[in-house]
Amino acid sequence: MISLKKVWTVAERDIRMFLRYKFLLIMRAIWFVSQIALFGLVVNRMFRPDVQSAVGGNYFNYYAAGIIITMLYSTTVFIGYDIYEEADHGVIEYLLSVPVSRKELVLGRSIGGGLRSFLYVGPMMLFVLYLIGVSNVLQLFAALLSLFLFTFGVAGFSITLAVSIKSSDRFDILMGVIDALIVRLSTTLYPIAYMPSPYQGIASINPLTFAADLFRWGAGLESAALVPPMLAVLSIVVFFSMFTFFGIFLHERKLEGGGWQ
Amino acid sequence: MAIKPVLHIVQRDFKYFFRYKWWVAGMISMNLADLFIMAIVYTRMVNPDIITDYFVFFAPGLTITALFAAAFMIGREINMEVRREISHYMLSLPIKRWELAIGRVLAGGLRGIIYMAPLLVTTLIITYIYTSVFPHPLQFLTIVLALFLISIGTSGLSIALAVSTTSFEKYITARGVVYYVLFFCSTVFYPMNLIQTALPQLVLLAQYNPLSCGADLSRAFLLGNPPFSPFMLVDIALFALIFASLATFAYMKVTQK
Repeated sequence: MISLKKVWTVAERDIRMFLRYKFLLIMRAIWFVSQIALFGLVVNRMFRPDVQSAVGGNYFNYYAAGIIITMLYSTTVFIGYDIYEEADHGVIEYLLSVPVSRKELVLGRSIGGGLRSFLYVGPMMLFVLYLIGVSNVLQLFAALLSLFLFTFGVAGFSITLAVSIKSSDRFDILMGVIDALIVRLSTTLYPIAYMPSPYQGIASINPLTFAADLFRWGAGLESAALVPPMLAVLSIVVFFSMFTFFGIFLHERKLEGGGWQ
Repeated sequence: MAIKPVLHIVQRDFKYFFRYKWWVAGMISMNLADLFIMAIVYTRMVNPDIITDYFVFFAPGLTITALFAAAFMIGREINMEVRREISHYMLSLPIKRWELAIGRVLAGGLRGIIYMAPLLVTTLIITYIYTSVFPHPLQFLTIVLALFLISIGTSGLSIALAVSTTSFEKYITARGVVYYVLFFCSTVFYPMNLIQTALPQLVLLAQYNPLSCGADLSRAFLLGNPPFSPFMLVDIALFALIFASLATFAYMKVTQK
């Protein structure tokens, strides 16, 4: 039987640990401001009128919403680096000695990994919502709920990779490559209609596409959200279920008998 | 000044660069993704009255971003050395302080040039395919010289920032601000007239920004637009001179403490 209290204790620890990454938090915040206040404003004037119509009338709003999803993704994957560092410093042995079951530990890590990124990105998300102007609170609430699941899924994805790859160098390289591709091959920065067809295929199954379109739909940019909201929610639920439970299963197995070493 | 000790330092720092395999791999994938995914998609979205072909426009800009990021890396190492007092070990070497300082600035610059070289070749191929123009030897040498000077200046700028504080958080904040302001307030991603309309307050910074001058100088010889102006080279040379000197003196001063 899983104790929610223990799961929360593990999640809370991960949230507190996040504050250690001051450099990451500062860099990401500066990156966000420069993307919105510099790049977004200039690039907004670069596109054709039909592109502006396709993205809901204003590329700046479209871009700002996409940047939030990029931030959510890039801060959530950090849980994988935590797991590596703990294995390096012998912290995993300590964690296994505390009165928390393997399942509670792994579930707590997945939830903590997602929740901490949501808390960090929260103020920026509010700022972007203020810029866009929310038209339907219920819609927004539904989108945010799905984005919670999205972050848990991304945390599970990062944990799955971290426990599947033993070399930290390989993990770093793989995460760098995935980060570069997953953002650009999604609708976070541009609509799917303007991508060449090979890119469209990847973008249409990319979880960042579903998250970005859902966030835009929640923020009231319905015309910019090309994936139907129900389909986006369903895809995020599938992504969340797959990686959260797969991540938990894999991590739990690796924890037995020192498989992380 | 003895050249050999300087070369030893350059060689050491250059070898260290390849320890950051993950960083290099991440950067390469990011640069290639920017060019072959983002720029291609933007090409289909951009108003042709503003930029005829964004992919071709962006390629020379990409070499500058790659060069800048790679040359900037040395500052992070030097800040770490100052915080952990590894610089004391460096001082125990039979090398004069200023040789050490010059070696480090040069090493940062060389890293930028080496990392950027394959991207410059890619850019030359792309611009040749699209415009059938290949710069003649003097133009090519001017581009390489300009890129080398930007790399040296960037290395100097990052070292000057790195030794200005022993607090990692302050350094990271300063680095982030300088890095992104120079990146996005430049003509690397978009032409000057767009900056003039969207951010008129930052036009002056964008005009004198060495990244703008480097990107525009490369475009002048590879794409024929904007036209080449000697001001671009003067701006880049001044940037390199000022920040290489500043970094040398600041590094010497910090190691004297």
